[in-house]
Amino acid sequence: MTGAAVGVRPVMLEAKGVTHLYGRRIGLQSIDFRVESPGVYAVTGPNGSGKSTLLRTIVGLLRPTSGTLSVQVDGRPLDGDSRRARIGLASPELSFYEEFSAAENLRFAAEVRGLPDPKAAVHDALAEVGLSERAQDMVSGFSSGMKQRLRLAFAVLHRPALLLLDEPGSHLDDAGRSIVRSVVERWRGNALVLVATNDPEEMKLATGRIELRGRRLGDTA
Amino acid sequence: MLQAGSNSAVAVWAILRKECRSEWRTRYGLNAALLFAVTALTAVSFSAGRLGDRQDLLASFFWIVLLFATLSSISHAFVREVEGHTLLMLRLVASPTQIALGKLLFNLLFLGVIELVTVPLFMVLMGAPAPHWGTFLTILLLGTLSLAASSTLVSAMIAQTRGRGALFAGVSLPVLLPVLAAAVGGTRGQWQSHDVTGEIKLLAAYAVALLAVSLLLYDHLWEE
Repeated sequence: MTGAAVGVRPVMLEAKGVTHLYGRRIGLQSIDFRVESPGVYAVTGPNGSGKSTLLRTIVGLLRPTSGTLSVQVDGRPLDGDSRRARIGLASPELSFYEEFSAAENLRFAAEVRGLPDPKAAVHDALAEVGLSERAQDMVSGFSSGMKQRLRLAFAVLHRPALLLLDEPGSHLDDAGRSIVRSVVERWRGNALVLVATNDPEEMKLATGRIELRGRRLGDTA
Repeated sequence: MLQAGSNSAVAVWAILRKECRSEWRTRYGLNAALLFAVTALTAVSFSAGRLGDRQDLLASFFWIVLLFATLSSISHAFVREVEGHTLLMLRLVASPTQIALGKLLFNLLFLGVIELVTVPLFMVLMGAPAPHWGTFLTILLLGTLSLAASSTLVSAMIAQTRGRGALFAGVSLPVLLPVLAAAVGGTRGQWQSHDVTGEIKLLAAYAVALLAVSLLLYDHLWEE
């Protein structure tokens, strides 16, 4: 692990009958699971089964239409503000300011999060994903693979207790996929890691699986 | 509680600085706003001459220039985040209220910069009589606050909707009309040495109400 050591914080994530509807369309159909840190869990399921919806619900961007989803760190349930502080998400929908450099984007995120040493946090996060040499380059000039690395750096920037990776290997070459593996390995012992994927190689990183099934793409409630 | 407030202030400050840096690099709004203000004032000055004795026209023209110069930019505060797909990043690091307050402060600053150029230019080109500065600046400040608060709120509300351009105009009209009516009435009144206490009270009450409603609404805007 580069930079400051991560304090190991016990994390518990529990879903009871969690369903999310986008209007009349089912985003996530009644799921139940309970997982605890440390560990890596693969969230799997066919396209449209709700993998991304589940991650967005965990981080607090979406509210369950029914059921309860509880995230606890150190035995304390997380609310909106503390979820943002304790959870890191790398998602394919995550974009950065094209007029800023990679370092400026992460520095902005670190400052908004109120991290004590934004410069060091940015340095460590970029080093972790192999982007140190491109830190000062504008994001507008980044390839899709480099943007994916930046998403990973963004997710680990604040040393989260719960790390959510949505299709982390997308757009990445072999070197990039190797970085995904090393990020997951580094965080395996320090956090609870959920990887939403259908990639057999990424599934091998997991010690457990949360499988979403029972509905098809575009099903209505 | 104090810690939470301090964290929020840090987040709002960081968002404000990001907005300033982004505007400085891209000039999304500044150039267009200044261009509109300067060309509108110059064109009217050339065609109608100096309007020093028509305070009714001056007051309306003054607020129309300010409104149109700034509205096209500040109404896009959130739309730019949606269209650039950066709203997700913002929402992952800050609460909706922190984001909106950062944007509101930027909009206020933006309006202030435009006014720094527009007001002196207006006075010179239109031949406006010397205002009662205390009253004039109070009306300008309260009108600016109301304009920024209403535009930020409406922009946040419509950012993730389809047909947001049409919606912005439709939703803004009833929200902005009382501000414009009071601001134009107050500005005309101070030039004519009338008592404008009523207009100032209305603007102040409206600004406070808009800010209060905004703070109540922001955290629920993007709930899905």
